[in-house]
Formats: sequence, C-alpha cells, structure tokens
Amino acid sequence: MTTGDRLRITGGTVYDPANGIDGDERDICIENGRIVATLPSDAPRLEARGMVVMPGGIDMHTHVAATSVNQARRLLPEEHTADAVRAPTLDDGQSSAHSGARSGTGGTVPSTFSTGYRYAGLGYTTVFEAAVAPLGARETHAELDDTPIVDAGCYILMGNNDYLFRQIAAGETGRARDYAAWLLRAAQGYAIKIVNPGGVALWKRGVREVGGLDAPVGDPRVTPRAILETLTTVANELRLPHPVHIHCNQLGQPGNVTTTLESMRTVDGQRAHFTHLQFHSYSGERGGKWSSAAREVVEYLNGHPELSGDVGQVMLGPATTVTADAAVEYLLYASTGRKWVNVDVELETGCGVVPYEYRDKAAVSALQWVIGLELFLLSEDPWRMVLSTDHPNGGSFLAYPRLIQLLMDRGARDEQLKRVNQSLLAGSALADGLSREYTLGEIAIITRAGPARLLGLTTKGHLGPGADADVTIYAHDADLAAMFATPRYVIKGGVLVVEEGQLRRAPAGQRIAVQPEYDRAVERDLRRYFDRYSTVSFDNYPVSAPLDTGVGEA
Amino acid sequence: MNKDAPARTVEHVTCLGCGCACDDIAVTVRNTRIVGTRNACPLGRDWFGDGQLPSRVIAHGSDASVEQAIGNAASTLLGARRALVYLAGDLSCETQGVGVGIADQLHASLDTLTTATARSGILAAQRRGRATATLGEVRNRADTLLFWGVDPARRYPRYTTRYAPDVEGLFVPDGRSGRLVIGVDVGESAAPADVNERVRFSDGEEVAALTLMRAAALGRPTEGTSPDDLATRALGLARRLMAARYAVIVHDGESSSTSAHASVRAEALVTLAQALNRGTRCALSTLRGGNNRSGADAVLTWQTGYPLAVDFARGVPRYRPAEGAGALLESGAIDVALVLGAAATIPPAVASMLAHVTTIIIGPRASESGFAPDVAIDTGVAGIHEGGIAMRMDEVPLPLRPSLAGATDALRVVTALAQRLHIRASEHAA
Repeated sequence: MTTGDRLRITGGTVYDPANGIDGDERDICIENGRIVATLPSDAPRLEARGMVVMPGGIDMHTHVAATSVNQARRLLPEEHTADAVRAPTLDDGQSSAHSGARSGTGGTVPSTFSTGYRYAGLGYTTVFEAAVAPLGARETHAELDDTPIVDAGCYILMGNNDYLFRQIAAGETGRARDYAAWLLRAAQGYAIKIVNPGGVALWKRGVREVGGLDAPVGDPRVTPRAILETLTTVANELRLPHPVHIHCNQLGQPGNVTTTLESMRTVDGQRAHFTHLQFHSYSGERGGKWSSAAREVVEYLNGHPELSGDVGQVMLGPATTVTADAAVEYLLYASTGRKWVNVDVELETGCGVVPYEYRDKAAVSALQWVIGLELFLLSEDPWRMVLSTDHPNGGSFLAYPRLIQLLMDRGARDEQLKRVNQSLLAGSALADGLSREYTLGEIAIITRAGPARLLGLTTKGHLGPGADADVTIYAHDADLAAMFATPRYVIKGGVLVVEEGQLRRAPAGQRIAVQPEYDRAVERDLRRYFDRYSTVSFDNYPVSAPLDTGVGEA
Repeated sequence: MNKDAPARTVEHVTCLGCGCACDDIAVTVRNTRIVGTRNACPLGRDWFGDGQLPSRVIAHGSDASVEQAIGNAASTLLGARRALVYLAGDLSCETQGVGVGIADQLHASLDTLTTATARSGILAAQRRGRATATLGEVRNRADTLLFWGVDPARRYPRYTTRYAPDVEGLFVPDGRSGRLVIGVDVGESAAPADVNERVRFSDGEEVAALTLMRAAALGRPTEGTSPDDLATRALGLARRLMAARYAVIVHDGESSSTSAHASVRAEALVTLAQALNRGTRCALSTLRGGNNRSGADAVLTWQTGYPLAVDFARGVPRYRPAEGAGALLESGAIDVALVLGAAATIPPAVASMLAHVTTIIIGPRASESGFAPDVAIDTGVAGIHEGGIAMRMDEVPLPLRPSLAGATDALRVVTALAQRLHIRASEHAA
C-alpha cells in the first residue's frame, strides 16, 4: 500500500501535545506531504483504531554524521562484524534518491544507510547531529546525503575557536556575532554548539583541564565564562531558532555540578540549552565518593523557564564515546586503557573517541544510570527536559524504547535498579523511591513536541494543519520497549516508510539549516586571517557560499 | 577554436597530485588546454598536465556510445559469477560512493588503492586508535618535528613549505627557526637534509627503538652503555619529544609493505605517539598519497563501517582487509572486474592480474589501459574536469574546482550504470 498524495489515518488514539491533544480518538489527514484539516471522503484510509498516533520522533542531540563519527566507525570493526545489516526490501518506485536499498553495519556507530533505516524503524523522522567541526562540515553533509529518510540539521562547534577568541579578547562582540553567522552559513548549520568552553583549546596547548569559569584560556579576557556569555548573546541576538547548545566544562568529573550550575547562572535570563545533563550532575570529589546532584540541577532548571536541557541517559551496555571534548577522552583512555583516537582540528576544535561499556556492576556506571533517570523523573516540565542518550556516548539510539519503558513503568525500573551496583546510590532520589511514571502524552513531549519547540521547528513535532506529515503509529503492547521498538507504521513527509513493521520506502531526507544575516565586513578580516593561519583557502572553506559571494563549490 | 583565445585562470584549485591536497593552485586555461599552473609542485604539474584526455568509448573492441557501453557493462556485471569493484584514483567522493553502492548491489568484492599500500597503518589504528591532528595543527603548533624515515620532498613536495616546518604557525611565529627538526634515517630511508639533529637506525633496530622510546614516554627509560647504543639513541630521541610543547612525528603511510615488520612498525608508531601524550602533546602525521585515495577510505567507512577491502557476497559488508584485489584476482575467484577511476593509479600487482579477467573500466584514459578491457569509457579527472569532494591526507574534506569542461563526467556515467543495474535487477526479480 502506498499513500499517493492523500491519506486519512482513521480512528487512532492521538497524542499531539503541541495542540493539546492527549489520547483523543481522531483522524489525521495528509495531503502532499503535509497535515491538513480534512480530506474528501474518498481519500485512501489507514486504519489505526486502537493504535497510538504521534508525530514523528525528533532526536535533538545525536552523533551520526561528522568527521568525528567516521573516526569512531573506523575504530570499531569488531562491532560492525557482529552486526551486519542487510539491505531492506524496499517497494520500488518510491525510493527516488537512491538507486537501491543499501546494506551496512550497526553496533553503536552504524554506517550511514543503516543509521537512516534504523532511526526510521524506531519512528524517528528528524535528527540533529550535535557536534560538527566547521572544517569538516562538508563531510557531514556528504554523510547526511547517504543517511536516508530522516530530515537532519547540525550544530556547529564554536566554543574553542581561535578567531572567536580573538574577537572576545578585543571586545569585538559585533564581530563575534557576524563571524558566528558567517560560520553557520558556511557550514550549513542550524545552531551554535559549545563543547567544554576553552577546555579543548587548552588541551591542545597541553593543559589538561580548565581552572574554572574565570581561568584564562590564553588571553586573560578569554575565559570559559566569557565564551559562554558571548555565544549565548550571539545566538539570541541572531534570533536563531535554537539557542546556544552547551556542553559544559568538566564532563564526567565528580563535583562538576558546581560548574554546571555556575554555567547556568552565567547565561541567566537568556535562552540556552544545556545538553546531556546527566554527565554534568555529579557531586563529590576526585578520589572521593561520587553522588547524584540531579536534584540541584533540576531545581535550577525548574525555576528558569528560559533554560532547557536534554538528559544524555546512560544505558547499561556498550557505548562509544565520541566527542569534541578531546580532553575528557584522554582521561578516559588513561583510566581504561582502551583504544583511543585523538584528532586536534586546526584553529577550531578537537575530537576524541574511546569505546566504552557501562556495566551494571560498576559503581559509577550505575550512578550515571540513576542520575539520568532522576533528571527525567524529578523534572517538572517535560517540555524542557527532553530525551537523549547523547548517542552513542551514553548508549545507542536503539536503546530509546527501553529508556521509554524505564520512564513509563516503575516496575521495570525498580527491577533493574535492584540489579545494579548500589555502592554510590545511598541517598539518591531514585533509590529512595520515585513513583512517577511517564504518560504517553509526556513521552510524546520529551521525544517530539518538546524538542521541536526547543529547536524552533514550527512544522515538526505536532500534527496540526500545515505540519510536515511525519507520523508514527504504534500498536499497543504490554511490553512498552517492544511497542516503541517496532512501530506499526511510520510516515515521513507523507510517504509510508514503515508498513506493518517493515521498512518499505527510503526517500531522501531534507536538510534543515539557518541563514542568519551578518555584516559583510567580517569577510575581509576573515580572508586575512585565513591567509595567515589556515591551510584551507578562505574561498574553499564554506560548504556553500555564505552570502551571495560567488565562492564555494565551483 | 581560435588559438589566441584569451587565457582564463581558475583560482583556489585543489590538487590531487599527492595527499597534501594543496588548495591554493591557480590553473590557467586557454581554449581547452591547461597552459600553466601557479603554486603547483612538480608532482602537481604532472598531475594537472595539459588537461587533454582521450574521449573514447569502447565496447567489445569497437567504438560505441556511452549508452551502449553502459548496457554492455550492466549485462556483463549481472552475468558475473563473482565480480570485483575496484576504486582506483582520481574519483570524487561522490563517485566513490556510487561505486560502493554498485558493489553492494552486485554482492561483489570491493577494494581501493589503500589496501595495497597503506593497510598496515590503518589496521594498526583500528587495533589501537591514534593520536593525530589536521595538517593545520601541525603547522600551528609543532615546536618539535620528527621525520621518521621519510623525506617528504620526493612524494609530498609541499608538505614542508605548506604545513611544517618551514612556515610560521599560530604558536610558532618564527617558523622554521622556532622548531626543532629531527631527522631519523631508518635503513635506506633518509629523513630530510635540513634538520637540526639526525639519528640513524638500521631496519633491524627500528621497532626496538620505537619500543624503547615508548617505554621512556611511559616513565621507564633505559640508559645505554655507550653513545652509539640503540638504547642511548632511542632515549635521546624520546627525551627530545618529551621536552616538546607539541611534538609531531611524521611518517610515510604509503611505504608500508604487507610484511610483518610493516605491521609492527605501524603499531609501534601509533602507540608511541599516544604514549607521549601522557606528559606533553604529540600527534602522528601519516603521509598519504594523492588521487583522493583518502576519500575512498572515508566513503567506504561511512557507507559500510570499514575503511578497507569489503566483500558483499552474502548481501552484507564483510571486512576482508587481508584479501585485497590482488589476492582475490590471483586466487581465480573473480571473473569480472569493474574498475572505476584512473588506470594509471592502479598498483602494478593488481593491474597485471586484471588482464586475466573480463574487465570494465570507467575513468580517465580508460581506453588506454593496458589490460584489454571488455568495456572502456573515458571520463574526465575529478579535480580537473569534474567537481565534487576530495579528502586531504588528514581527512579534511575539500571542494574540487574543475578548470576544464567538456569531458565525459565520471559521476554521471557511474550513476547511470548503477541505475541500469538496479533496473535490470528489478526486472529480473519481477
């Protein structure tokens, strides 16, 4: 069955929180790839009675297409050998972008085609690659070209950028804004990303970690705090649909909650998104006992509606840590002895990769697992605490169904809680008993409506007229993990991509990018800077022409 | 066309003559011919040439249309018992990706230039990881630069002037004079002439020296008993590197044979560079050849999960790094080979075996290839006649700017073949 141009999904139980619909039985009408209010009665129908209908899933923080991700792929032949993925049997004619279905490999860092198929197979239709070195942006877009079905955008790394630091040092806030805008266009990005502000630049100088938010990074005026303030302001002044996306200093370190809360206070009053908060919510001290600081972080967020976060849940099992936070990866390498990739990226950022396993018998892994769940369960506003595992850092996106089960089913949660290492869990909220169970409506918020709102996507994450026809339909199952792992139908842009649980079509996804305005004067200065310090010509750097300059791809 | 047509110059052209992928080349064109380049080294000038290429299409010994040739190629490939798709040089990443897709669809074996020449280093990095940097960081940060048994002058001519040590960098404002340059001669493989210090090891001493250096970096120095001792020389080098603010070890990733020694050496270099990060910063800069071979590694990795030879015979990619095109052809398992890219870039051991199977070749100078192809379609060269993406040796993606028009477009032809195969296969299935 194909949808043609029109389709009426009939009788489903609809969860569309952005439009205030919470489990109501109603029809959803699709025409030419969009949701419409109504259709003629002879339009084709898809019977969804007794099933759960939601907008397509949106992953606002994942690592699926970047030079760093490809470094990780290359490092994992063992995982790929153990998870070979056959090409899906597609119903031809609808698969316009590719001449055929493609095989691939899975594991924690799947090949591109497998990534697209597997996200769609989970009912996710939009993903955001969360850490792109602008120097490698051209590869990100090439990888996304080979990642079918899902619409995609990417965040551009700026928190350790030498040219930006020069503007901060010179007090040139206007030029910093122009540069950020130019860079977003040059890399065809969607949002500004900060990773360990200043910390990666220090790591490249041989300094292992930042000395605090006010410790200089080279020039005394360039500090983690100044970087946070500058880029938060820039993102707001440029009116970007998504505010600055912040990975704080001291990821994974005991006691880092102090830095996390101080970073939040630094941007006080302005919109900002704090990512994979689980990795930044630890009390305790190095060499001493770690404990959960989830409650403090949640309380701060609850009181600051301009701020948002995603969790970065650790799922017990295999993971691959891949991040621009190269300093952290060195520590992980030094402590685990696992194989380790480091790539220092000129003038901009870094990259580190270490394969990892979160073991339920390991005290810290168990604590991390608990802290993530506490962030979800203590948060009062699901719109501002959305679901992520920081794929593949906390675990694969394939673990989302299990994570949803842990949130919706206290029994399943308590069952697993009993089996994990208890040594650091004393006094934690989860260990004391958190009875909350997420409703289907709340799940729809943390996986669809919430990320869409935080990203400023007006045509995604909801099912009102004018929205993209990205729809996921689940058949009820007492096993919630199974229910969310195998949606019965997935519709992407009006195309029925999953039918009766089988992937049937794999249209190309769309790219989501911003095009902020800037003062062209910055380009003259940048050209001088590139001529002096870059090994890539200024004219060859942008993925496409930033403004109408005639540069870019010949 | 008027012989005196005005010349035009295309700026910021990326050269694929070697893995340096210098993107500051100006190419001057008159009529349909390249008449000059600025900034190109001798390798680059050779690679650009005059841009003149044959444009023949041959099927079964006769001239044919592209359409006919694609039809013949599709029939031959679909009738193969076991096909090999070989990604040779001078293809864009886009064309490489379509080539991998053809191998996937045909359940063929796939190989690239990398397996024959640079496998040891890639396998070592898969076992251990690696500590590296993009070439701009080498330039901007390296205050100590060690050339391990390689002089870039011959095969990577502009490495020293574009990246390091000769040019100034952000943290090395004095350029060459601000850097300590150490040359290590290994057997017959000499380091550059312009070094501040020189140390020699025999081939037999090489791995032992790297291991001693690594031990020193990990806090376990071994003192020699005389100045000429292997241990003394190794420890002296290690101390130089450990005293650096940012050390870079440069080695030739293309020099590795398939010997056990190459494999052990590659791993010793990788682990030494990693270990040096315990006390300071260190990056291993691996020199790779041109023709966008690094692009093939990257594309193959993102599409299949593996950077080297892959076998799709069971409908999924299976990693076969020890079974490259040469070995496969030698074994007699392959009956049809689809070669994409420039025949001149194919290693001799593979090229000589291609004469023994039915071969289809699509690429620059395909019609002049020496192995009597069944079907040959001449195309342009990525970077001279076609655009797209290519990877520098450090996997920095760069745009290709064609300076000449008019050649048959490799991406278009290979895509048309992929579509033809897909349609034929669907018809067959129906």
